[in-house]
Amino acid sequence: MTDRSDIARQAVIAAACIVALVVGAILLAGANPLSVAIGIGERALFTRSGFLEAVLRSIPLTILGLGIALAFRARVFNIGMDGQLIAGSVVAMALAPLVPLDAFGLLLLLSGGIVGGAAWGGIAGVIKGRFGGNEIIATIMLNYVALQILSWLVRGPMQETMRIIPRSDPLDAALRLPILFEATRIHAGLLIALAAVVAVAILARRSRYGFKLAVVGANAHAARYAGIDPRWIAGSVLTLSGALAGLAGAVEITGIYGRLQEGFAPGFGITAIAVALVARLNPLLVPVSALGFSLLYAGLGTLARNGVVPFPIINILEGAIIFVFLAGSVYVAHRAKRGQAETADG
Amino acid sequence: MDEALFLSGLLAAGIRLATPIALAAIGETISQRAGVINVGIEGIMLVGAFVAVLVTVSSGSPWAGLAAAILSGAAMGAIHAVFTVRLKAEQIVSGIALLFLGIGLSGYGFRLTLAQGGTAVQVPGFRELDLFGLAGVPIVGPILFGQHALIYLAVIGAALLAFMLSSTRLGLMIKAAGDYPQALDAAGGAVDRVRFLCVMASGAFAAAGGAFLSTAQLWGFVENMTAGRGFLAISCVVFARWNPLGAIVAALGFGIADALQIRMQAGYPGVPYQFFVIAPYVVAIVSLALASRGSRMPAALGTAFSPQR
Repeated sequence: MTDRSDIARQAVIAAACIVALVVGAILLAGANPLSVAIGIGERALFTRSGFLEAVLRSIPLTILGLGIALAFRARVFNIGMDGQLIAGSVVAMALAPLVPLDAFGLLLLLSGGIVGGAAWGGIAGVIKGRFGGNEIIATIMLNYVALQILSWLVRGPMQETMRIIPRSDPLDAALRLPILFEATRIHAGLLIALAAVVAVAILARRSRYGFKLAVVGANAHAARYAGIDPRWIAGSVLTLSGALAGLAGAVEITGIYGRLQEGFAPGFGITAIAVALVARLNPLLVPVSALGFSLLYAGLGTLARNGVVPFPIINILEGAIIFVFLAGSVYVAHRAKRGQAETADG
Repeated sequence: MDEALFLSGLLAAGIRLATPIALAAIGETISQRAGVINVGIEGIMLVGAFVAVLVTVSSGSPWAGLAAAILSGAAMGAIHAVFTVRLKAEQIVSGIALLFLGIGLSGYGFRLTLAQGGTAVQVPGFRELDLFGLAGVPIVGPILFGQHALIYLAVIGAALLAFMLSSTRLGLMIKAAGDYPQALDAAGGAVDRVRFLCVMASGAFAAAGGAFLSTAQLWGFVENMTAGRGFLAISCVVFARWNPLGAIVAALGFGIADALQIRMQAGYPGVPYQFFVIAPYVVAIVSLALASRGSRMPAALGTAFSPQR
């Protein structure tokens, strides 16, 4: 069909325009796009600090990306992972004075993070599952609420004893995730992230629940006939992805920062969307994608600090990557010789 | 008398605070009526806000800034339209990408231009009108006669749009594109062309909302200054059941909640200000839970159209 190859051709043009937009933006800053690309690669892949920074960043991005992948599989669009991450961190931090100062206490903090994130995601889950409200709006509104509550907590009830800087007192060393490799900051959160990959992969691809997610994602209407309640799925998967976001928050707190403060994990929940989409919502590919984005960040961050390009180039790139990825999947779908019949809800 | 003055000031401020949300909500209503969700209007508002300030500063005219913002918004809308209408890609994902792009482009452009000077740039923005010289009349004057020109234009625009949707051929085509595109196609209407134009219009309106924010409500651009207004606009569309006039009323609700929380911050210094700042967001969350039940959205909303041949 000419119509089909026409769409494939347009997808290529659209992707080319998006790439041209990024190149144009870099040129506008008076930088050379080629040397920017080389600079990113050099810094991220061939310097020790750049690579370690990327690995460190990929830990929370992997856990968050898994949560996004789970929810998006059911076409439930959780874009409020930043708020859920904050909720998890706050609960973990609030538990700190109450738990024993040993590995069990650390485990309790991480569990607290999971519960906090699940609760925050669960609010959106109730709005979506019980009342049929749009989860995109609910989760993003809850982001703003969480940000403000955090801002209050670190200036009020959870502020450090000295009461100078808006941040909490540090965690006891016994409640910190151990460092895995000498002379780096790579902490045991890496193992937690990898365990989460395995767990989510099994859940998504081998369990009844994972199958239900896929059915609801493919066709919520048909799912109802199969005895699956799409609303329950939506509510539960929002809670579940919130739990992962909360875990990511607790890992960041116990692994890197050791205290609660504003502006940690900035925009990670949003980046995680790009991570999960590029991984094609496949849990096993999420860590790869997360590392890729982290390398990009590490490289670009250096260039931005050196004043080569303004930092928001990273947001432009994230958007561009998703657009190019979208165009790519359109191209593949319409180029395939034996593609499925076009459907109205394609 | 004091209460009346307080209420009058509250309402006048509420209208001002509601306008960016209302403009974006009008645009989103058009796009969703035609069957396309645009969750990226927050990003478009940011681009509109930035472009408006940039062009206002360089040309000296806020109207030139507004025009440039509208053009940039239509262009952003066209990107979304290419991906959702032409390529039939997932609308939500394309909208999320547009959001990133808008955050990035506005912040990037800002740091390359206006932020370079070091000191805050003077923005010769919009001033409130004084219609018929009646703005000074107590109580009703500031509300009815002392607003920005864009506010009157927004209300007139929403009314015209409501009429267009309910009583014209074009309105019928837009609604058909969103409710039952097969019927429009069978009747010889170009579903994709109608949708494409509606998505571009949503971008133009969102950018006008951003321009109002940065050249009328405030005079200047700050990164991420929209702070969720684009998403509040989307919720207005749902609360108003896809009616443009209703969307304005819903936006007014958010505007008044915002105006009220600002006044209460000053009135209750003992209460942490963050609890007031979250008010509009909490209002949105609660009304989302209350108002979504049984809402009748356009039947083909969110689905790409492919003619069956």
